[in-house]
Amino acid sequence: MSGHTPSAGAAELAGLLLRVAAADAAAFQIFYERTSAKLFGIILRILPERHEAEDVLQEVYVTVWRKAATFDPTRASPITWAATIARNRAIDRLRARPVRAVVPVETAHDLADDGPAPDAALLASQDARRLASALAQLEPRHAAAIRACYFEGITYDELAAREQVPVGTLKSWVRRGLMRMRGQLEASEA
Amino acid sequence: MTGATDNGLSGLTADEALAMDYALGALGRAERKAAELRLVGDPAFRALVERWQLQLAPLDEATDPVTPPASVWAAIAAETTASALKPAAPVAAPAPVRGWWHNLALWRSLGLGAPVAAALALVMLAPSDALPGGAADQLAAASGPQLRATLAGADGKPLLAAAFDPASGQVRFAPVAQSEAGAGKVPELWVIEGNSPPRSLGIIDISAGSAHSIPRDRLAGVKQGAILAISIEPIGGSPTGTPTGPVIATGALTAA
Repeated sequence: MSGHTPSAGAAELAGLLLRVAAADAAAFQIFYERTSAKLFGIILRILPERHEAEDVLQEVYVTVWRKAATFDPTRASPITWAATIARNRAIDRLRARPVRAVVPVETAHDLADDGPAPDAALLASQDARRLASALAQLEPRHAAAIRACYFEGITYDELAAREQVPVGTLKSWVRRGLMRMRGQLEASEA
Repeated sequence: MTGATDNGLSGLTADEALAMDYALGALGRAERKAAELRLVGDPAFRALVERWQLQLAPLDEATDPVTPPASVWAAIAAETTASALKPAAPVAAPAPVRGWWHNLALWRSLGLGAPVAAALALVMLAPSDALPGGAADQLAAASGPQLRATLAGADGKPLLAAAFDPASGQVRFAPVAQSEAGAGKVPELWVIEGNSPPRSLGIIDISAGSAHSIPRDRLAGVKQGAILAISIEPIGGSPTGTPTGPVIATGALTAA
């Protein structure tokens, strides 16, 4: 597997999850205090409406409480495990809505306006720096499309409409971009 | 579906493209649900998805944390720890998670694509003579079942034999390994037919030789090839109608 590097923080969170699996309410509360702001941030990017995001955050932690026993520290860090639950719940909620209207042409948003990629030097972990550097080597529009899908939970169809490109073109950007990104990551790990 | 010529990258298999799209979060609702069903029963596909999830996860570091309001924790506590503390007997001294289900599979679908625990191996039906102690034969002798399944954990070890008699609507279980659900937990039986979501067949007792009558309407259409699965749920069964706890055993129904 592409390794995540266990950190002291991850080990502590993993220890908390083990206690949560044994129905330890105090450990659950500490786990919540340590992780909820990160998860809420992730959910809010997908569901900007606060009330909806709060509902999803609640669902996510109820799931963490029930499923802590299934967490496997050899497969993912605790925060990645919990963040994946959060993203999936938020995307499920987004998809359950009626289809959104396509943004009108005059206000169409240009992917390049999403702002520069975060400065790699400001990112804490080596994994994050590697990923930022791999994305920085892609066509800016392709990297921006990957970010839009990941952070906003937007579908290929919606993003293609927003960008006014054929869906096939958009998929090609994203998939080629991801394969190149993986190639870079694996080369940098070797 | 995405064909080899239409996936934006020649040489990318349809499964690889789907795993990438799912992990990225770019699929529409129906495609997403279909991918989640694949995650339940296809460990190879799940591995593809998890690899992408892990590779993309460091992106989350670029997301600024936002402290949620205190009301969220209050609601979570009310739904989890507060109710868990009410039945004083089982939860006052919570047993550590243990027993054979501890490291077993996770029910990964249903909106919970976390890259977690041991793979849920959908174990193809073992020949009945592979069961220790002749458990399946005892079952066959006892009830003349028409369908049976060997339910195994993620490590492939048979945990129990199930025999299903469509005529009587009874399912009988013969454990081949010691099991316990843990304090405050019960096993719940599910059937997965084709691409449909798991359907509950109810809370079960998996102690030796126990027989369960399952209402006929729930059994309509259950036939050879359907997958039986057992998950560990709160007392009273899954609160959501889909499995919420770890799946401890799965197996396909086959003709006896």
